[in-house]
Amino acid sequence: MQRRDFLGLSIATGLFATGLSGCRTSDPLVFGIHPWIGYEPLYLARDFGWLPASVVLESGPSSKDSMAGLLSGKLHGAALTLDETIRVWSEGTEVVVVAVADVSAGADALITRPHITELAELQGKRIAVEVNGVSGIMLLKILELAGLAWSDVVPIDLPVSEHAGAWSRAEVDASVCYEPTAMKLEREGGVRLFDSSDIPETIFDLLVVTREAADGNPDAVRDMVTAHFRGLQHLVRSMHDAVYRVANHQGIRPEDVQSALATVMLPDLAANQRYLSGAGRVEIMARSLSKLMLRTGMIRNEPGFQRLCDPSFLPRSLP
Amino acid sequence: MKARRCLLIPILLVVIECLTATVASAREALTFGIFAYRPDNIIRERFEPLARYLSREVGAEVRLVVLSQDNMNRAVAANELDFFLTNPSHLLLIRSERSLTGVLATLVRRSGDQSTSSLGGVIFTGSQRQDINSLEDLRSKSIASPGMHFLGGYQTQVLELQDAGIDIRKVNLIRFLGTHDRVVRAVLSGDADVGFVRTSILEQMAKANPDLFAQIKILNRQELAGFPYVVSTRLYPEWPLVALPHVNERVVRRVASALFSIEPDDEVAVAAGITGFSPPADYQSVEYLARTLRVAPFDQVPRVTWVDVLQHYRLWVFTVAVLVILLLASSLWLARSRRQLASEQKRLRQLVSGWPQPALLIKGGVFVDTNRAAVDLLGYSASVSIYGKDLAVFSPEFQPDGQISRQKMEQINTRVGDGHVEQFEWVLQRSDGSEVWVDVTMAPVHGEGEQEAFILCSWYNITRRKQAEQRQRLAASVFEYAREAIFITDSYGMVIDANDAYLAITGRPRKRTIQRLPPLPLDEGSGVFSSARAQGFWAGEFASRRNNGESLALSMTISSVRDDHGKVSHFVGIFSDITRLKEQEQKLRIMAHYDALTGLPNRVLFADRLQQAMALTRRQSGKLAVIYIDLDEFKPVNDAFGHEAGDQLLVEIASRMRAVLREEDTLARLGGDEFAAIVMNVQDEASLESLLVRLLARVAEPAWVVDHNVEVSASIGCTLFPQTADLDGDQLLRQADQAMYQAKQTGRNRYVRFSDFSS
Repeated sequence: MQRRDFLGLSIATGLFATGLSGCRTSDPLVFGIHPWIGYEPLYLARDFGWLPASVVLESGPSSKDSMAGLLSGKLHGAALTLDETIRVWSEGTEVVVVAVADVSAGADALITRPHITELAELQGKRIAVEVNGVSGIMLLKILELAGLAWSDVVPIDLPVSEHAGAWSRAEVDASVCYEPTAMKLEREGGVRLFDSSDIPETIFDLLVVTREAADGNPDAVRDMVTAHFRGLQHLVRSMHDAVYRVANHQGIRPEDVQSALATVMLPDLAANQRYLSGAGRVEIMARSLSKLMLRTGMIRNEPGFQRLCDPSFLPRSLP
Repeated sequence: MKARRCLLIPILLVVIECLTATVASAREALTFGIFAYRPDNIIRERFEPLARYLSREVGAEVRLVVLSQDNMNRAVAANELDFFLTNPSHLLLIRSERSLTGVLATLVRRSGDQSTSSLGGVIFTGSQRQDINSLEDLRSKSIASPGMHFLGGYQTQVLELQDAGIDIRKVNLIRFLGTHDRVVRAVLSGDADVGFVRTSILEQMAKANPDLFAQIKILNRQELAGFPYVVSTRLYPEWPLVALPHVNERVVRRVASALFSIEPDDEVAVAAGITGFSPPADYQSVEYLARTLRVAPFDQVPRVTWVDVLQHYRLWVFTVAVLVILLLASSLWLARSRRQLASEQKRLRQLVSGWPQPALLIKGGVFVDTNRAAVDLLGYSASVSIYGKDLAVFSPEFQPDGQISRQKMEQINTRVGDGHVEQFEWVLQRSDGSEVWVDVTMAPVHGEGEQEAFILCSWYNITRRKQAEQRQRLAASVFEYAREAIFITDSYGMVIDANDAYLAITGRPRKRTIQRLPPLPLDEGSGVFSSARAQGFWAGEFASRRNNGESLALSMTISSVRDDHGKVSHFVGIFSDITRLKEQEQKLRIMAHYDALTGLPNRVLFADRLQQAMALTRRQSGKLAVIYIDLDEFKPVNDAFGHEAGDQLLVEIASRMRAVLREEDTLARLGGDEFAAIVMNVQDEASLESLLVRLLARVAEPAWVVDHNVEVSASIGCTLFPQTADLDGDQLLRQADQAMYQAKQTGRNRYVRFSDFSS
């Protein structure tokens, strides 16, 4: 019910934003975002006023909203994981990866009840997972490593934001989730059995825009990417300040922010150039991942991209 | 002397020992400088337990020195400190002035059960100030701050305000009061509108003054979860604890170990209001802040050398250099080509002005430039007289073809304006009124970028040619229109050209004239040319024939024409048709010798013939007879039937008598009804008498004149020649006349011989 209300509200705001923007000569880039440590630079940029009027952040509770917004055309871009990007592509909306916000290095984790000590013991267990999200991919990888099939476990499809509730109600034995949920579960006695640092450079959190926006409003896209990197610069350089702001934003303690930051790699401009290049890691992962997703039926259609990444929106330097 | 020296050495040794001991004891005591960001006594009270704790842990006396920033700078410069604890901005300043070992630890401050290693700035004002509610309201307000090198007490606020678009260093009155406590007091007392202090100051002071937060209000308050203090700015790392390089490394290790082993609940930590020390933080953000604000030690604008600029703007410098070189090269090239152009123009101008043919430039229909030759041709002294005028001004009203000069000129100008080159003949009027024929060429000259084309106009004086042409035309017209035939032959007499009169007279078509001989006298033929060659001319009359066979009489003159070398190159002939003249002449001659009525010779011819006959007869020793005949009774016929009848009768009688006489005989009418005859070769008397009888008979025959039968008779006198006496013709005729008279006397219609009655 809450979710429905929220959707209605966001559609209303979206319509309002579109209606308003219709009067202006250049529509702002409406960019969908949800709380995640890797996307915090954009929030920081917004808070410091580094986000120009050409970009409007549309904050939702999870990436589901961002994907729906992209598919409905309400959003011109969104912060998504690589698998979500592929999903959007296969659903028929052409998107372009313009920046890598972070690479998961422990941020996505499998938290189990303490009695589960090995991956193989997952067999027959109830595992909370957001099937159509990055945790779904994570679980696929985990099952692959554990030598189990999807049918060997009892996946309980839940949005990650609801995992903590399910856990405390003892409805699940394990959860494939990400920060800060993972940390909350750990505090409630969960054990980190597996995390993304075991599969490095596999789970990417990206900033994507629709092909339409990339072609039609490239300046706004560039503004958005630049704002992300300014926020990132503040996050890295003024860690003493940023941890408090992120903590405030995510509603967690500053120490938790620091430990969350330890679970992701935040690639700077140079690293982004590397990741987004034609033969870069993102492009390679995208191909193998889309094959995997097609094989497991996570997507119905093969996304028809030749080139998913476009590094041309990366700023040459920062102020 | 020696004893004194021996005494001196032990004293020196003692002194040296004492000195060494002093140094050693100084090394044992470590001086710990703390920046007095709050009143000395508070600082000392808080950190004295830390000094004691360190003395205990390190095993050497740790002396606490509370210093202002300036004093700390001096103490550091004098190496009087071994460790110091100050704010990060001050650290940057000190580090820029001398080398340090680096930051040993970062202070972790405590607030209740929370702790933080971050600090920030607080911007506050009195709670009663209704006019100050946000950063925007800070414009032109007085500000109290502890000092310029206070990170949380000045620099963080300046940056925050700068981001909000307010440069307080330019527009605000800022008072630096040295400590945070004074700042708070100044704001509370109203001496300053706004105060800047670092985080934790207000919370500390609130312990002594619980009403503090009610008396002030915080501006630009940041909502930072987990941060224990009120804060208006972004956060930076807490104070660094720094060891100076001269401190023994072992001592540094011990101090560091002691600092890191402080637990939050330790008495020393609680007293100092800290939870301990953490490993050194990254002070890069503070450095970035100082750089952004350009405060010490980054207040100097970095000296940029040429090499730096070159390194940084390599591409630009190179591009600009290339462009400058290109510019220079092109300007040089332009200047050179301009010089060339100028000299070429000069040469061209000289060429045009010195050119012997008149040349002029026309623009907008009037002359704008001209050369000397044109001025001379028109008879003016200066070219100014020509400028601004058009061609018609220098022309007579009408051109020889009858057109009005101005109209003709305008037509030509239009055609030239359309891009045609025009060549035509024109008559100019010179300043003295005389006229000059010129051949004019007008050509449009299209200058690049010029709206209106120039017209180049050149004149060629053709007056002489025109005059020669006129003469030639006259000569040609003489040739064409002369009534006399004129022809020109080559040196062999073959006709080269002939006029129409020639063709008319000779009746030959032109093709049968050219390259043939002209009509020539039959006897001389082309010998006439030899005569003309020899004497310069030949003239003569001769008979010729027309082409259709009619006879012609021509009067011709042939003149030789000599070339430059005196050789005869041509002959010019002229002849006229004198046929009619000749006929006239013939007629006149007949009229003088013959009787018009009867056609018989008259008295004159008779006398002539008689002479000839007498001469012939004398030569041939023959005889001739002269007969004088007078008609009888003629006058009555004339009277009765008229003169016409008389004339008819005379013609009839004459014809009859002529028929009686022989061919060689001559019958002449001497006048009226008197006739005379010469009878040649009179053989004998008998034949003469028979002739005379026949004559009488023939005359006496009746004649039919004017419808009347008329009968007349004749009285004839006759004489012979030669006679004994030498007689002339007149005498002979008189003899015959006398004899006739005798016949008349003796009854008419008879003949009488002279000898008959004279003898």
